[in-house]
Amino acid sequence: MAACGAAVEAAYWAKQQGLKVTLVDKAAVDRSGAVAMGLSAINQYVGLKDGANTVKDYVDYVRSDLMGITREDLVANIARHVDSTVHLFEKWGLPIWKDEQGNYVHEGRWQLMINGESYKVVVAEAAKNALLQSGVGEIFERVFIVGPLMDGERCAGAVGFSVRENKFYVFKAKATLVAMGGAVHVFKPRSSGEGMGRAWYPPWNSGSSAYFTIRAGAEMTCQEVRFIPVRFKDAYGPVGAWFLLFKSRATNSEGGDYMVQRRPELGNWGPYGRVKPVPANLRNYLGMLDVMDGKGPIYMRTEEALGKIADTYKDDPKAYKKKMKELESEAWEDFLDMTISQAILWASTNLQPEDKGSEIAAAEPYFIGSHSGASGAWVSGPADLQTKETAPDYFWGYANMSTVEGLFCAGDASGASSHKFSSGSHAEGRIAAKAALKFIVENNSLPAVDAATIESLKAEILRPLENYEQHKNATTDPEINPNYLKPRMFMFRLQKIMDEYAGGITSQFKTNGPLLTKALELLAFLREDSQKLAAADLHELMRCWENTHRMWQAEAHVRTMLFREETRWPGYYFRADKPALDEEKWHVFANCRFDPQADAWEMRTRPMKHVFPQPQEHEMLGG
Amino acid sequence: MPSYVNPEKCDGCKALDKTACQYICPNDLMVLDKEKMKAYNRDVSMCWECYNCVKICPTQAIEIRGYADFVPLGASVTPLRSTDSIMWTVKFRNGTLKRFKFPIRTTEEGKAVPDGGFETKASLDSPELFTEPASSGLPAIFALKGVANA
Repeated sequence: MAACGAAVEAAYWAKQQGLKVTLVDKAAVDRSGAVAMGLSAINQYVGLKDGANTVKDYVDYVRSDLMGITREDLVANIARHVDSTVHLFEKWGLPIWKDEQGNYVHEGRWQLMINGESYKVVVAEAAKNALLQSGVGEIFERVFIVGPLMDGERCAGAVGFSVRENKFYVFKAKATLVAMGGAVHVFKPRSSGEGMGRAWYPPWNSGSSAYFTIRAGAEMTCQEVRFIPVRFKDAYGPVGAWFLLFKSRATNSEGGDYMVQRRPELGNWGPYGRVKPVPANLRNYLGMLDVMDGKGPIYMRTEEALGKIADTYKDDPKAYKKKMKELESEAWEDFLDMTISQAILWASTNLQPEDKGSEIAAAEPYFIGSHSGASGAWVSGPADLQTKETAPDYFWGYANMSTVEGLFCAGDASGASSHKFSSGSHAEGRIAAKAALKFIVENNSLPAVDAATIESLKAEILRPLENYEQHKNATTDPEINPNYLKPRMFMFRLQKIMDEYAGGITSQFKTNGPLLTKALELLAFLREDSQKLAAADLHELMRCWENTHRMWQAEAHVRTMLFREETRWPGYYFRADKPALDEEKWHVFANCRFDPQADAWEMRTRPMKHVFPQPQEHEMLGG
Repeated sequence: MPSYVNPEKCDGCKALDKTACQYICPNDLMVLDKEKMKAYNRDVSMCWECYNCVKICPTQAIEIRGYADFVPLGASVTPLRSTDSIMWTVKFRNGTLKRFKFPIRTTEEGKAVPDGGFETKASLDSPELFTEPASSGLPAIFALKGVANA
């Protein structure tokens, strides 16, 4: 979504300034990225034109949900532009639900219901039309971007390869915008057979944004803030419509509601335990406590929720029948638009939501700065949303530029600006693209890259093909060979380390200092062995690099969890040796940077500063 | 298995330079066996069941069999996607059938106009983006008030 937003915006300013734009996608733009299947809701719409909410309201919501740690300037910048993005979606052809008065139908305070099967197709169409009709753009599909091209400290473009033909690509650019999604399959997923691919976030989002920015030497932020979604168990169907639109409860094996029964636990989590809505990670945590106490399964009480809604029509049989039909259609569309597997699972278990509840569970950890996680690059905010206090720490020239000159980030690639989702990512792509164009106009020189650098990058990127060719005849089965490692087993090795030492599912999302130190020891061996990855073809070459990308995301994550000596997001991960919130020491951003020259990681904190006046306690309670 | 190809129906998209499923799969899973001229999913455990291959197949040769490690056999969910709507047929394991039809877009295919008809009143130095402030529905974009700017 961020890349499509960037394309639309960049095309306009590039045309005005006489510049060119190149869009590179690992798949087909129509159906690439996180929204490839579709979505059933738009999760960020502020409603500024109707006075429904203010920009500050959104900032307060995001900061509270992230346990006090967020970049208010970045969140406010997205919040002030996101409605415009949603209005554009509607003009482009996305069907947004309307009520009888012609107003958008809200799923919750910030969420709109859509008929979103073709969400990505429609948004991609506008992006392609913008680039191609203006004559300023060129689009490359099925080219996998591996990493950055650098001219000293400045980003000079990107390098990658085609997965369709033997072609190595070098894109030289005056400004580069990274919007390559978050990361899936860094941790072992719940299903390890065929269902391994049924991750909540798509398996093709493999940490490319994180790798690109880390290897460019960009400072990274919130690398510890993974996201764990609680979703319908196994098929990971969305729960938002059930909780928000249908007002469903979730109950344990004894019929107890953990949100009610475990309420006192919230008192242990500082002021964040008192906000409404309860932060996502704390909601997770209360449910996890039930599961750890052996009170599973946890059921979404779909039958109870639909029954209650239908009951209001019980005196009018005709209206009742009509309402039940409507609810049934809404419930199924929620899955068919965005998680069709969940519809298959319900049909295959003869489950009808009006008759019987459906199990929910915490999924494996994901890296998704656009949702309720926060990981990404540390980027500059906009000039005009700073105060005298914030500007020295949060502003360095161009909105959404990382700490590397000429390298811009949006969507899952930029951190500490959660809850942008699909619409906010699109808006942020627009923000970042305009800033990148401004950067070019004010720094209009083509970076210099020598041929030797390119040759060495090419050799490194194609090495897995070389490894395979050189050693494939050493054994009778190409899958097992003492000289190399295939990407699939490499991925399993990474997932085992992360799952067991870094707080995955089998360790109930718990870890501690010594476990994380052990994880680093094992990751160091893995990094050495990444030199011995082998690929029989271009598809496998892509898998090799996807898993290398995942490995770097993993290392940034482990190092930052180790650095932050407290537990702040207990429903995302729990540091058992530092089991409490430490507001005095850790009400700060935990940042890291890989120094490519020294081949070493640096850890540091950055201050948490407010752009807006802080809400009073009673305002937080009022939500 | 996730997506699988019915050999009776697949013609390998012989009229095209590559198969439709190969073109669309976001995870680069669909490939053409050039000897048999039939497509197949090369790595079912990396399939997200996003149905993009199913929806795009010109001969309706591709279907989904739910992940065998947690989905009981016998159900199917089948889409029929047109230019403005999608029809779903959900068949339960016990034979129950449900049909749903949803709109997918309100404009003609290919006709999304980038500016959506909104005028742009922004300069490269202003905080407004392309199509703003018109597309925001407000006379101006939000700015900080009463806070001293740096």
